[in-house]
Amino acid sequence: MGLVRPTCIATTLLGLAAWLLSSLATTVADDKQPQRVSDGLIALYDFSDGDGKTIRDRSGVGAPLDLEIEDAGRVRWSDGALAVESPTLISSSGPAKKIVGAIKKSNAITIEAWVTLANATQGGPARIVSLSANASERNFTLGQEKEVFDVRLRATGSDNNGIPSTSSPRKSLQARRMHVAFTREPSGAAKIYVDGKQVVERKVPGGFGNWDGKHRLLLANEATKDRAWLGTYHLVAVYDRALSADEVRRNFAAGVSSGSMGRAPDKATAGNVLFETKIAPLFARHCLECHDSALAKGGLDLSRKDAALAGGESGKVFEGGKAAGVLWDAIAADEMPKDRPPLSTDEKAAIRSWLEAGAAWPLDRIDPANYLHAGHAGDVWVQRLTVAEYVETVRSAVGVDIAKETRELLPADLRADGFSNTAYNLGVDLKHIEAYGRLAEIVVGRMDAGKFAGRFSKQRSLDADKLADLVAAMGKWLLRGPLDAEEVNVYRGIASTVIGAGGDYDEAVRYIVEAMLQSPRFVYRMEDQRGDGSPRRANQYELASRMSYILWGGPPDEALFRAADRGELGDREKVAAQVRRMLDDPRTIERSRQFVSEWLNLGRLANLRPDARRFPEWNAELAADMREETLAFFTEVVWKQKRPLADLLDAQLTFATPRLAEHYGLKPAGDALVRYDLSDVGGRGGILTHGSVLTIGGDNASMVSRGLFVLHELLRGTVNAPPPCVNTTPPPTKAGLSHRGIAEARVANVNCGVCHVRFEPLAYGLEKFDGVGAYHERDAHGNQLRDDGEVLFPGDAKAIQYKSSAELMKLLADSPRVRESLTWKVTQFALGRPLSAVDAPIVAEIHKIAEKNGGTYANLITAIVMSDLVQKKRTEKNG
Amino acid sequence: MTSRAITRRTAIKGLGGVTIGLPFLEEMLRPSLSLAASKSAVEAKAAVPVRAFNVFFGLGIPAPLQKEGFDGVLEPLKPLGEKLLIMRGVDHVRCDEKGINAHYDGASAAFTAEPPQGEAKAGGPSIDQMIRRAHYPDGLPPGMVPTLVAGTFFRRSRLSRYVHSFNPDGTVAATMQEKPRAVFERVFGTVAAENDSDDARRRRLRRSVLDTVLDQYKFYTGPNSPLGATSKARVAEHLERIREFEQRAFAVKVDGTAAPDLPRESKLLHGGAADPGGEGIDITLEELSAEWRLLAELYALAIQTDRTRFGSITFLAAGERIRLTGKYEYNGRNVFEFDDAGQRKKSGSQACSHEWWHDFDEKKKNEQLRAHAHMKLREVAYFLSLLDGKDAVDANGKTILDNALLTISTESGDGRHNDVRRELTGVFHAISGAGGRFKTGQIVDVNAEGLDVYNTMLSAMGVSGRLGPGKRKMAEVGAIRV
Repeated sequence: MGLVRPTCIATTLLGLAAWLLSSLATTVADDKQPQRVSDGLIALYDFSDGDGKTIRDRSGVGAPLDLEIEDAGRVRWSDGALAVESPTLISSSGPAKKIVGAIKKSNAITIEAWVTLANATQGGPARIVSLSANASERNFTLGQEKEVFDVRLRATGSDNNGIPSTSSPRKSLQARRMHVAFTREPSGAAKIYVDGKQVVERKVPGGFGNWDGKHRLLLANEATKDRAWLGTYHLVAVYDRALSADEVRRNFAAGVSSGSMGRAPDKATAGNVLFETKIAPLFARHCLECHDSALAKGGLDLSRKDAALAGGESGKVFEGGKAAGVLWDAIAADEMPKDRPPLSTDEKAAIRSWLEAGAAWPLDRIDPANYLHAGHAGDVWVQRLTVAEYVETVRSAVGVDIAKETRELLPADLRADGFSNTAYNLGVDLKHIEAYGRLAEIVVGRMDAGKFAGRFSKQRSLDADKLADLVAAMGKWLLRGPLDAEEVNVYRGIASTVIGAGGDYDEAVRYIVEAMLQSPRFVYRMEDQRGDGSPRRANQYELASRMSYILWGGPPDEALFRAADRGELGDREKVAAQVRRMLDDPRTIERSRQFVSEWLNLGRLANLRPDARRFPEWNAELAADMREETLAFFTEVVWKQKRPLADLLDAQLTFATPRLAEHYGLKPAGDALVRYDLSDVGGRGGILTHGSVLTIGGDNASMVSRGLFVLHELLRGTVNAPPPCVNTTPPPTKAGLSHRGIAEARVANVNCGVCHVRFEPLAYGLEKFDGVGAYHERDAHGNQLRDDGEVLFPGDAKAIQYKSSAELMKLLADSPRVRESLTWKVTQFALGRPLSAVDAPIVAEIHKIAEKNGGTYANLITAIVMSDLVQKKRTEKNG
Repeated sequence: MTSRAITRRTAIKGLGGVTIGLPFLEEMLRPSLSLAASKSAVEAKAAVPVRAFNVFFGLGIPAPLQKEGFDGVLEPLKPLGEKLLIMRGVDHVRCDEKGINAHYDGASAAFTAEPPQGEAKAGGPSIDQMIRRAHYPDGLPPGMVPTLVAGTFFRRSRLSRYVHSFNPDGTVAATMQEKPRAVFERVFGTVAAENDSDDARRRRLRRSVLDTVLDQYKFYTGPNSPLGATSKARVAEHLERIREFEQRAFAVKVDGTAAPDLPRESKLLHGGAADPGGEGIDITLEELSAEWRLLAELYALAIQTDRTRFGSITFLAAGERIRLTGKYEYNGRNVFEFDDAGQRKKSGSQACSHEWWHDFDEKKKNEQLRAHAHMKLREVAYFLSLLDGKDAVDANGKTILDNALLTISTESGDGRHNDVRRELTGVFHAISGAGGRFKTGQIVDVNAEGLDVYNTMLSAMGVSGRLGPGKRKMAEVGAIRV
């Protein structure tokens, strides 16, 4: 039976568990319980250790920066708190590299603490939190100077001691538990908040390029032990960005708890995770072909919890607590899966672990479609701009239309998993590099560089500091977020070269823009992916870009940038308001048309060349008309009539040119693409009756291809490859044998029918449409064609009959499964990656919200943007 | 057919007026100079680089036909028989994935021995990329094409049907070049050359821009990058391409009088147009062969001139759908008259040669399938022979075919889709000697899993990494090693 190593499997699940637990715990944000802000967190101490000399860093970011208490006899642990009762030093064992590195790069910081003061007389300032070496060398210190909080922050605009410091108002400290937060933005704006309220603002100019990388992180004293602070610590956190006022309020409202960060899952949860990450995919892959609701061989349906627990014809098939029972015995003896390769040793080990751990079954239903892309679940791919996104980004950023040249120079993006914006497939080759360079040159050549720079600085100065300001402002716009000091220096260096070559201000700007247009932050949608493998809230600028690329396929506009600058995108209501504003922009419509074009692969039409002898009416113009029909229909139903997305299946209208109308057998009206009412036109109506979709069946109007299209694209169904001993070449039609007859024979065949029953009847209703979408009552042999049939919705036990094509369309339009599938498709396009089981709970919530609000494309996109799939980003451990 | 094969000699003779990278020139000239300079044996040995290429042809050779050896469809490989090891009984059964098209499964398995991950990713790295990373951990010499992927094919619904070089994460190792001219440009460069301009100032400034861009990409691949490992690898590829661009864009101009012939524009369909909804295309044997041979010559020239050391080349995709016509002759002998549509008496996809594989029956003549398979091996042999001629002699006096690892394979051991086990069992494989590492001049029945065969090859090539599940115990296939 092979080796069984349950502990090994449990270990490998830990990473997945972290992600899953987090996903399940916070699907769409829970507004009732304030949660601490995690975005930008670098170090976090919640003093939950309880005893000992070590205070653990629970941020989960990078290598933990744990702190050691020099003299444990001088402190007292209590529940989630550490009281420093007499002077001692608490410090990291080595330099706080992760803090220094991150903050030097971001040029922004937040230092936050929940503390209870021992007295209002200590000073020096007495060190509450410090990153320093002695009384005159520091990167920062948050301290107590009698009745005020005092923050010293080293920057190029202050001295090595962080002087002048920033202080809270007089008598702002009291002998009780207090929340203090100091924030400093890249612009230099520094603020102190006490108990969630801003109490002071001043400027700490310059950057953090002069920070010393050797300092240790200290609590309760200076490194030289001559600035002791006494009191109780409840929480200390450091962020590499300035939290907004809203975020500080949120942390204050969340209280002293750090939340569930770093907690190990309990046994029951681990069992659930094991089922969801290993067992359900395994059943989906190996068992449900025969043991789902539709077939339930041996009376066993493993796709539904209640049925699976009830067992099969011979009773229960498994019991929690031991590897025994019908299911285990059949698997262990390689009797199941029947007529298929046996399970691997690892798979058997997983089943055994699951059974022995209690056979938890947390899902009501196993949906095989959720596990199709399990292989992608852990990968976090940076997204390169697609060709369309590049064009729109250049247009929005600098006002130059580069569409024609881009399509000539940049290689086309290839489809993967149904869309060409799938991040893992957006690689680059030499042609891309050449094209980005050449396009940048063309763009800059068409710009008025001086005028463009004027948007960011009126100075037109080659002075180094003023150029730095220009680069910072212009770069923030072009690169979709603030630049750090190093980036500013690098781009400013181009200006130095230009000046050295005798160039002027405008020329310097041109070359800087040319470099920025080729930079990774322009070509890719860069995000901070570092973390512990669990999702983290996207920062303000990352979220702004996520929103704009999802809605517009382009960069944030000024209003969205302003919202990010103000930290407003941490506020769900303000995010929702931005989405409402953005939905009114025509770019949203264009982006949605890109979606439908990709989803239905409309680009395929230009390549079709049906047999000219059979379809003499086919030509490139007719193909183009079909594409335009579908796009116009989509725009009408979704945007003009604002109908639910599912109405695409049975809306009784279409758009056609006279040429297409004639092809469809409609009476041509007008001389261009015009709307036709199909209420009284039998057979045609809805997107499945468009030539653009019907041609998927090829010259022979294959029921297999059409049925599979409906199954995959509308029902999110899965089906296996042809089983053994079947000739996959269909016999030709002849007098007395239509495509329907051939398909019915396949469905009735004992070998083929197991799978074909799941999809071919879906295409029965389309038999009257030939390979190029024309309508006929009889085929070339005179056979009467039919459009009645049945639909077996994935997961259902019984098929539903339909009498006509129109009834099929109505069934599909009304089907919850179809609506859910549309949500999955739009969500996949929005995220630029295939979805997996880990995403399923959030997608279900998105769907629920979108349907509740009306089920329109706008409702759906809004729900997607507001969901954790967009609000939070996936991270990679030790990234 | 091409009227004149492109060779290293004709290319060198014709150089001029075209900007090419410095390494290209050096590498092109080095072999001939080295002979004259009578380098020491040690130097000569050192001058033979490690190279590995995957050669793929679509649809495969049913295992029963392989048994006929050079008397059957393998005949075109006979002239190269002493330099090849033909392996029968290589089994990729683990790669046959339920729910995935078997042509695609088999094509993904070729050179990786792993099942695919979805539509556009292989299940792991290909052999050539494993060897590349092991022998050139810091990258290939500047200006060299790190991986060259090219092919003549018309079916493209899934990527592994036609691409056969994959990174460790299963993504494609390089963009497919499907036109001869694209191969020419990719290898010999028509990058908008700075030295076309006499404006030295402009060059200097553009250089500054490129340096800045390069610096930014370096940051995103470095230790302080905010990216995770997966994304870093993607940006690292981008960085590598920029470095290559840098080499080419700032190369020197070569003096000369006559420019080498730029390959003619391809007249065949490419891109999406080449695959009209999976229905197949009409093509003559002459069109197909001429396009392929031009592409093969350019690819071979890239190897001969040491512009590339790793990659893959594809002659017809997995599950290819073409309706071929034309008289097929071999060595002056009429072999067959191709007319797929006419012989199948059908249209569209049902008239394509692909269907002969589905109809295979070892008790019958399988005349059409035999002719197609024979023709495919003729074209594969054409490519291999380009690496075995006088233009392909390395510094050690042996040919590239002797020194490099050429792995030739396909998608299926049986095209019928009627037996799960048989379909990916007995998939045709042949390898070259790789500098004496493998036996040649034999046809052996290895009867082993592809993973073991490939891992044995990797072991012989001095690669410590292995394909497949980490804890799987490898079974050395001693029959292939010297």
